[in-house]
Amino acid sequence: MQSSTILSVQNVCKTFPTRGGGVEALRDVSFSVARNELCVLLGPSGCGKSTLLNIVAGLHTPTSGTLSLEGRPIHGPARERGMVFQSYTSFPWLTVLENVEYGMKLNGIPKAERRERALHYIDLVHLTKFRDAYPKTLSGGMKQRVAIARTLANAPEILLMDEPYGALDAETRWHMQEMLLDIMRTTQTTILLVTHDIQEAIFLADRIVFLSAHPGRLKTILELDFKKGKEIRSKEDLVELEGYPECEREIMHLMRNEAKQEEDA
Amino acid sequence: MTQALRTLPATRAKDTRPKLRIFEFKSDIPASWRLTLGVAVWVLFFAIWQIAAWSGVMPAILLPGPGKVLTALYTLFTEQGFLGDVLISVWRVMFSFALACAVAVPLGILMGAFKSVEAFFSPFVSAWRYLPAPSFIPLLLMWFGAGDAQKLALLFIGVIWFLITLIADHTKAVPKDLINTSVTLGGSRWQVLRTVVVPAALPNIVIAMRQMLAVSWTYLVIAEITAADAGIGAMMMRAKRFLHVDQIMAGILVIGLLGLIFDYLLRALHRRAFQYLDEYS
Ligand SMILES: Nc1ncnc2c1ncn2[C@@H]1O[C@H](COP(=O)(O)OP(=O)(O)O)[C@@H](O)[C@H]1O
Ligand SMILES: [Mg+2]
Repeated sequence: MQSSTILSVQNVCKTFPTRGGGVEALRDVSFSVARNELCVLLGPSGCGKSTLLNIVAGLHTPTSGTLSLEGRPIHGPARERGMVFQSYTSFPWLTVLENVEYGMKLNGIPKAERRERALHYIDLVHLTKFRDAYPKTLSGGMKQRVAIARTLANAPEILLMDEPYGALDAETRWHMQEMLLDIMRTTQTTILLVTHDIQEAIFLADRIVFLSAHPGRLKTILELDFKKGKEIRSKEDLVELEGYPECEREIMHLMRNEAKQEEDA
Repeated sequence: MTQALRTLPATRAKDTRPKLRIFEFKSDIPASWRLTLGVAVWVLFFAIWQIAAWSGVMPAILLPGPGKVLTALYTLFTEQGFLGDVLISVWRVMFSFALACAVAVPLGILMGAFKSVEAFFSPFVSAWRYLPAPSFIPLLLMWFGAGDAQKLALLFIGVIWFLITLIADHTKAVPKDLINTSVTLGGSRWQVLRTVVVPAALPNIVIAMRQMLAVSWTYLVIAEITAADAGIGAMMMRAKRFLHVDQIMAGILVIGLLGLIFDYLLRALHRRAFQYLDEYS
């Protein structure tokens, strides 16, 4: 396990400076992500998940602590850590194809290679029919697929996702989650995904990093052993799996305890 | 089906189509109604004008009817070289506005994109915005005389500060996530500015231009009325000397029409250039 670590987060603290002395968002958080794993950051709303992901992306700097990717320290945003946001970030003035080519263009990939790679990833997210469409004609789920294809085509070493399906309706969300697992199977990808949706976390995760709130601290790391070696392609596969109800119940308890401590405090 | 679920036969809902009403909050009306209503307001306006002219509430020389004004307009163009005046006025607006845009667009974008640039320019720009441009007319007359330079300067001062502020605000409104998307894909500061900030703000920048072009027309008339030998406003001041109210009104009509035409052209340009926007589906 240790040798395959790609991302390492050590003793990260973050306090946002404010007029009234500052908001402590994260306290002493440490965890690591292994190569080709899908690691989920789970926790109640406002516990600092987005803050932590933004720090990994390099969009925020930690107040203290160290982060490294493949042993290299993280300073500022870079191509190697691609990010998919909850809000729709397809550039409306570019077609699907141009959107997916965008990152590669920034990085000076030659035109022919750019085109080939873009088409490959557009196919991977099932948008081939819409490659020349503008985002305004796409549904929310399709826009998120464009964002995923664009980020993957840019060949990051880790894909960061902040509640990427939070704005989608339930049925679209299932499809998107199933597609993400499909992509994990067919490509060599490492993903760190933030969510507050328990079922989404269990469905997608190889490992769940659970944060507690105010300030955000590492509560526990859950290995989803009941899924190991099982073929899970759809939500139904998951729900029918032995051990699923217990797992969900346990995480619900964790969430509830957090909420209760919040009320007591 | 499992035991836990019971299915009920579907019932069909009754067809209750809402009927068309004239007064309905925010709901669209048929295009034909829109056209009819748009024409009707003008018909009403000309009718009231004509009736007022006939009724004799004012001497006919001070309130000529629409027919007389249209005749005056015709003779202005055919016999008094009014086209030259119109072209000069149009040129003044276009040239001064182009100059203002050449300064305001880059400056506004930089102010909207970078807090440091904003902190430097903002106190200056805000102060100027509160100074009415016409208060500079005496000064401009002394510096530049009554020629074109004075008018171009007034038009420039009249729009530049608002233009900068509007463009800076529109640039600031570019969603942070769009910028961060580019940054996390490896975009440099210059690349983000060029490939995200500018294209994202551009549609609203063109709208700001459309709004300020209308203001520019206002200042044009002020500039030409105070001192000018040529232009629409100058023609109107000449007409005033000879009590040609019909010509003054013809001048007003032309200014209004030109404003409408420019507004329409910029609207059409916007639609053509930004077809990808949601509102042009
Ligand atoms: N820019 C900021 N300035 C001040 N406080 C912030 C800022 N961003 C987040 N916070 C605070 O940090 C905490 C964690 O926020 P966030 O990371 O968005 O939580 P989550 O994504 O888990 O819902 C919250 O209490 C929030 O109010
Ligand atoms: Mg969040």
